[in-house]
Amino acid sequence: MMKEPKDETENNENRKNISSTVPNGISGDPAKTLGLLHGLRVCQDAWAPKSPWDRHGAHTALWGRPAGSFLVVQGSLSQDQLLCVSVGDSGEPVKEFSIMTTEKALRLTASHLAFPDLFQLLHFYTLSRDVLPVCLLVPSWVYTLKNLPDHLVPLLGPKTWLCPSSDLQAKSSMTPETAETAETVMCTIQVTAASGAMCFINPLYLHEHGDDWLTHSSANPVRHPLRRDKRLSTTRTWEGRGLKKRSSSPAEDCSTFNNDRGSFEKTPVTPSTTPGGVVLRRASGTSKEDPLKRASTDSIQSPLPQSPHRVSWIEDKIWLNSPLPSSQLQPPCLELDSLSVSSIEEESEPALSPSPSLPSHRFQLADKMKNRLSAVGQAIGGLMSPQRRLSNRVQEMAERKSGAFAEAVREFIEQTLTSEPTPEITYTEMLQEVRSSLTALREILFDSTEIQSITDSFGDTPDFELDSMLELALHKVALKPVYSHLYVCLKTARRDDGTLQRLEANKSILEDRNLEELEGAAGAGVPDSSVMEKILQRWTAMHEAYSPSKKVGTLLKVCKNIYHSMNANAKPGTVFGADDFLPCLTWVLLRSDVATLQVDTDYMMELLDPMQLQGEGGYYLTSLYAALFYISSFRPRVAKQQLSAEAHRSLSQWHRRRTLHCNQSRRSRNRRTIRRHGSSNGNRRTSEERNSLKASTESSSLTDDKSDTHESLQGLDEELQVLKEEEEGSADREQVQLPETIITSPQIDEKDRAVRVSWNERS
Amino acid sequence: MTLRELKVCLLGDTGVGKSSIVCRFVEDSFDPNINPTIGASFMTKTVQYQNELHKFLIWDTAGQERFRALAPMYYRGSAAAIIVYDITKEESFQTLKNWVKELRQHGPPNIVVAIAGNKCDLSDAREVSEKDAKDYADSIHAIFIETSAKNAININEVFTQISERIPVLDAEGGSAVKGFKLRRQPSVSTRERTCC
Repeated sequence: MMKEPKDETENNENRKNISSTVPNGISGDPAKTLGLLHGLRVCQDAWAPKSPWDRHGAHTALWGRPAGSFLVVQGSLSQDQLLCVSVGDSGEPVKEFSIMTTEKALRLTASHLAFPDLFQLLHFYTLSRDVLPVCLLVPSWVYTLKNLPDHLVPLLGPKTWLCPSSDLQAKSSMTPETAETAETVMCTIQVTAASGAMCFINPLYLHEHGDDWLTHSSANPVRHPLRRDKRLSTTRTWEGRGLKKRSSSPAEDCSTFNNDRGSFEKTPVTPSTTPGGVVLRRASGTSKEDPLKRASTDSIQSPLPQSPHRVSWIEDKIWLNSPLPSSQLQPPCLELDSLSVSSIEEESEPALSPSPSLPSHRFQLADKMKNRLSAVGQAIGGLMSPQRRLSNRVQEMAERKSGAFAEAVREFIEQTLTSEPTPEITYTEMLQEVRSSLTALREILFDSTEIQSITDSFGDTPDFELDSMLELALHKVALKPVYSHLYVCLKTARRDDGTLQRLEANKSILEDRNLEELEGAAGAGVPDSSVMEKILQRWTAMHEAYSPSKKVGTLLKVCKNIYHSMNANAKPGTVFGADDFLPCLTWVLLRSDVATLQVDTDYMMELLDPMQLQGEGGYYLTSLYAALFYISSFRPRVAKQQLSAEAHRSLSQWHRRRTLHCNQSRRSRNRRTIRRHGSSNGNRRTSEERNSLKASTESSSLTDDKSDTHESLQGLDEELQVLKEEEEGSADREQVQLPETIITSPQIDEKDRAVRVSWNERS
Repeated sequence: MTLRELKVCLLGDTGVGKSSIVCRFVEDSFDPNINPTIGASFMTKTVQYQNELHKFLIWDTAGQERFRALAPMYYRGSAAAIIVYDITKEESFQTLKNWVKELRQHGPPNIVVAIAGNKCDLSDAREVSEKDAKDYADSIHAIFIETSAKNAININEVFTQISERIPVLDAEGGSAVKGFKLRRQPSVSTRERTCC
């Protein structure tokens, strides 16, 4: 699960590397961009020299030029033109791409993306490389080129075009930019000033509705209410930029919780039905403040090209479907992914580093004005990641008026929001209840044919991966509405039991100690102030996330920082294991907000999918828990045994938790059967199933408590005896009461028995 | 082939070479498809054992006396524990005996215990005789091997022997198990997954 965002980043990195000097999608100064089309037009002779220039001449001229430099020459064999691009590769420094001219459109033969004219085509490839190895590079003076004085015409040839030093000369001698009112001509490319992002607008829409709404008007940015509204309704997070704007944090300020935030958010999702209509793509998050500017072109009869590829965000169907009767054309709306408008809606996870989720990834792209269209395409187009598809569907299912899952989610939220720890129910039990419900909800999803039809398409994805994907999706629909409430409860409980106070008090005793005094080994470094600052930021991000999985992801980043600091000045080859890591982590904690971290740790500990507890995330979560426990239970002069006894008491609490996984056998045969059983019972989890989940939690605590009470001088034989009796007793009862267990899993193993034991005892 | 995740926890005094053993064990397992772990405290390695794949999730613990109380958090749910001592330090062998007791009382039922006498390359400075250690290990039905992380001696053997003692899946009577304790049957700590 954690791998996905990383891969994503790496992919982008790779892309960046490929396009080396001209990163895909960087468009330079946006204001300049507007002039590019015009500039290209004016100096066409420079980049598209006429005969006798041919491909050989172009190759020679381009040799050694910066990557992205290009010339367009006539192809030797056909009428078609060739785009020759310097790619800066030592093996093949210049590559050529033939440009195909169909009746009314031009396109690179390798791409299906067609343009009404060569200028637009080139313009596009300065912004997105699509099938090219690099983005095209245009000399900077072209951006401001408005008119070409006659006396300069003969001078302007490929040499000037390609020679970097010509910049100055050209600039000084050519007419500088004059304030020119943008012409209001129909266009197929629109460039917004802020980001340099491009939008494609269906000419049919323009034909039907005119282009008034496109007109440059800085005085009235909200000129097109319909479109604005759409945008606002679907892009709240673009303005919000995550939780930063949210009231600080639940644990820091209990009063910030309100019902509004706790309530279940609903976004009306209007399935878009404008296949032939709109190809307007979102420009950028910042475009709001900016007038919609555009570069002028002269064509409204942009042809309908063939199905595009590569730049996959133009969905096939939009182009392929025959246009609707013009009267049905809809105004442009944000149709980032018609598959789910709501997908844009959320994901307000604060992202310090590339967030694991695709949407914020997309926002980052937009925010940074990186028009990496192919990357964006993966996010929105047909190549939507499995996680997204699942999340979208789960979200949609949760928002339905009726349906088993929607009802179960609503019931869960309602119940959780009204529950509070009482003397009878500890916060741990309360959170365990939440965890059980999450597991139960996940099983409902597994049972649903809708989800199965999606997961079936994932091929051989192992069960545990599906689990964690569904987990993530669930966190959004189920945990997000309640997490503030849970935090309030947790914090209250931790304050009431004195943990937070002890942590704070001991922190002040310990914080002056250096690493050696914290039992750390000499040689391991500790984070310096800048790393420490980064770590503190990450703790904040971790605190603000509602998904325990994402929190753990952030925790891992912190631990990575710590390792890095440990190794910074160490002898090469030194291996730092837990002997060194734990003291170092403790050192870091003593410089952090321990109280908040304690609450975060509890939250993760109880709500993380138990399946993930044995892995790396589980390990470092355990270390965090252990280090906090070390601080909170620290007593300068306490006898070792005392501490140990106390530790064991606390540990029986610990054992009580996180035992679900023992009972979640992943033998899929059994699992499937059990699932079926679950669904046949109707739509909701029955109380019986809930009980069995709960019982599974209890079961281990039963055993563990036993070992705790038998702490002193527990003989092996005695214990064996007890367990034997337990087994024999349970075997009988289980057959009577729970026949389905036997049917579904012919070989009942002992843990199942244990579950049933406690289940029986409970009932 | 079935992939089983086996949590293995490392116990022993600080400085006996716990993490060196793990590093030596995982060093040759370069798999480009698997992200390396972020640090040496937690490492993984997958090995084939008969018709199963055993993915060892190796949890290191801090050996300092002050941190010993925290160990249960780490060893809970383990399929196996490797208790390491330093053959040149008698004291570390005594600590080992305490760990065995502790595991007996608080450890997961049926945990496989392996005792590793590390630094066997330093036999000149030996303080713990191999026979004594072996006898002790036999008396608690534990695996016993002398190892040298430095010279890569017997490192893989430790894990191979653990694999051998992990209860076979679906084994009804658990006859393949020669666990060091006879408590409840199948390990609660192994997760079975269908390998893709």
